[in-house]
Amino acid sequence: MIRHLFKLIWNKKKQNFLLIVEMLVSFMVMFAVFTLLVYYYTNYKRPMGFVYENVWTVSYSNNRLDTKNEDTLAMYYESLKRTVEALPEVRAVSYVGSNSPFSANNSNNSTTVNNVQIMANTYQMDDDYARLVQLHMLSGRWFSKLDDGAKDKPIVINATLKEKAYGNKNAIGQRFEIEGKQVVIIGVVQDLKDKGDYVAPQYSHYKRVERNSYASTGRMLVAIRPEAGAAFESKLNKVLTGIMPTANVEIEHLTKKRIAKNSITLVPMIILLIVAGFLIVNVALGLFGVLWYNISRRKAEIGLRRAIGASGNNIVLQIVSETLVLASLSLLLGSFFAIQFPLLNIFDLPAGVYLTALVLSILFIYGLVIICAIYPGKQASNILPAVALHED
Amino acid sequence: MLTNYFKIAIAVLKRRKFFTFISLFGISITLTIIIVLTAFMDFLFSAAAPETKRDRSLYVNMLRLEHTTKSSRQTGPTSFYYMDHYVGSMKTPEKVAIFSMFMPTNTYINNKKLVINIKHTNAAYWAVEEYKFLEGKPYTPQQINNAEKVTVISEETKKQYFGDVPSVVGKFLETDNEQYRVIGVVNNVPVTMIYSYADIYLPYTLSKDNIKSTGFQGKFMGILLARSKDDLPAMQQEYQQMIKRIPLDSTMGYNKITGFADTYLAGFTRVFLGDESSTGVTKFLLIVGLVLFLFMLLPTINLVNINSSRIMERSSEIAVRKAFGASSGTLAIQFIVENLILTLLGGIIGVALSVIVLWLFNNSQLIPDAVLAINYKVLLATLGACLFFGLLSGVYPAWRMSRLQVVTALKSN
Repeated sequence: MIRHLFKLIWNKKKQNFLLIVEMLVSFMVMFAVFTLLVYYYTNYKRPMGFVYENVWTVSYSNNRLDTKNEDTLAMYYESLKRTVEALPEVRAVSYVGSNSPFSANNSNNSTTVNNVQIMANTYQMDDDYARLVQLHMLSGRWFSKLDDGAKDKPIVINATLKEKAYGNKNAIGQRFEIEGKQVVIIGVVQDLKDKGDYVAPQYSHYKRVERNSYASTGRMLVAIRPEAGAAFESKLNKVLTGIMPTANVEIEHLTKKRIAKNSITLVPMIILLIVAGFLIVNVALGLFGVLWYNISRRKAEIGLRRAIGASGNNIVLQIVSETLVLASLSLLLGSFFAIQFPLLNIFDLPAGVYLTALVLSILFIYGLVIICAIYPGKQASNILPAVALHED
Repeated sequence: MLTNYFKIAIAVLKRRKFFTFISLFGISITLTIIIVLTAFMDFLFSAAAPETKRDRSLYVNMLRLEHTTKSSRQTGPTSFYYMDHYVGSMKTPEKVAIFSMFMPTNTYINNKKLVINIKHTNAAYWAVEEYKFLEGKPYTPQQINNAEKVTVISEETKKQYFGDVPSVVGKFLETDNEQYRVIGVVNNVPVTMIYSYADIYLPYTLSKDNIKSTGFQGKFMGILLARSKDDLPAMQQEYQQMIKRIPLDSTMGYNKITGFADTYLAGFTRVFLGDESSTGVTKFLLIVGLVLFLFMLLPTINLVNINSSRIMERSSEIAVRKAFGASSGTLAIQFIVENLILTLLGGIIGVALSVIVLWLFNNSQLIPDAVLAINYKVLLATLGACLFFGLLSGVYPAWRMSRLQVVTALKSN
């Protein structure tokens, strides 16, 4: 049967060549679309790892103070923190670096951890951050007063970094160097999706913002109690500008920042889906038209088959399988190209993503081809042998 | 002759309505997407108010400070001092507009938050950029020197802050604990024009940044306006020489300064695709071209496929014409012309569709104040795409048709 189908296709290789090319290109388009969809979906499925509802980012700049004295500065910022914390609507306050959750800022550096060269995101957070966003520590602990005056700076790493550098071994107490300074790992934290829902976890390490470096951050996170009303934001703004009269103060909600951050991924994806959807409709219509036309040219052949006893279903099956063989040829060729992506590790995505996308796009093309072939097949099965043979 | 082709083409299109629908559907939607994309690119990169003088402007948006032995590097906007003292002393530019990047601040009216983006500018800014003043006027050099707390606001800010009132000049607007007297209202600018977008404009002397600091990096950018378009290369040269002459000493923490005065497009492409030796414009155009080509590939193959099928349907007609002496060339040309008529028809539908899409986009306020329109440049690009489409999808079927054997074609019917 299959051999026979191949023969039929080979006999019309010129006509079928274009169909094969068309299916091949559609397959490659769908492979690209599915790769992205699968990749984003796997990232989306991961837990957030922290709480962002009712958390606000407060950024301030140009807070000009008369003093350059470190101790006075530290005291000033400590009292600022205490004042905000003392507001009844506030649950927790933490000074953070510019690499705060869902912000557009990125800061990363290249370090060698346990002989593995790693490009990692660096964060700066103070002792209250863990409580504020409710981090999940996998082992060890978050920063605390215990770290005051420690000889080597404490550092917390995330699960992805630990996995890469230490594998299954215990990382707590291990040391490595950042910018020439020794640091000691005191905790491993579950991955935080603080760059957006669709972004894969990245290697990250967290440095402690100590009391005397509060002044250098320029940003704080404020967690408010759910019962605080909408009016609280202007109240907080008044309190802050009262303490920092010369500064530019901006308050942003993490829920809104998350939406903005996600739309950076989502908007191009939606545009891509619309364009791909249109291309597929286009291809489906074209395929449908060409198959339909081909059937009408083969009336005599089909009529003869009916005359010698083939049932209507047999004819449908023949038309559909012919198209499926044609599709298989292009899928075989397409898979050969597609499989190069995980093999050559292009774009640095996990191989599982590519393979899932490969299977999905093969199924998609088969589905599309079957849908496009069934109606012309039905049409062909309705051909009456007497009429068809009479025409010739 | 052409009218004849046209009549035949229409007759053929009417014969198999389903095929005609598929072809026109594919062509028109493909062209719609191309038109919308072109309109968007045109909106991003061609001159529009207030940046009407883009063709004789150069943009300075960053400076890189490097230490070649310590391999440390900082890139970012420049300080006011650098713009004023170094760039301001250049001879070729007619005017140098100095302005800060827009920076958000919060203000609260009846407990409702309003985000106000602030931009600090010098006086030349108002001459280089051509804002349309709905009321009032820009601040004068005198007012800047006196650090008067005056501001020019956008129409949207006026609506948001003051509500529906006829005139707001002379009223006070408060943000970041400061009161500013409104002296002018200008048209809104879409946020995609990063050099001119802001909600309120303030004299640079009110900047909370330390504008007297003699460092090189800060929050300011500049537009160098040449007297004519021909002066641009000379201006770029002078800019490079000016940077070379900047004195550096060992206390500074860096020993190399790199910076560029680029045209509008190059100012962006250099950040993403360029480096010191190239602006990245060529790379950008190549990428755009490649994406367009790949996008058009599938609809084209589809059209070739449909056309090849349809042409076989007409084998008897072709065979008869051949038998009566029509050359292969004539037949091929006839078919290509027919196909061009089909694509142009698709193009007309495509233009109609894109008018609808652009109207929807402009009304959706996806990008506030963005107005995308079809102009002659966009239409020209569409016509080009039509021709490309029509030729590419017509040539192969026409070639196959012209090779048809008269005898077999006549026999089969």
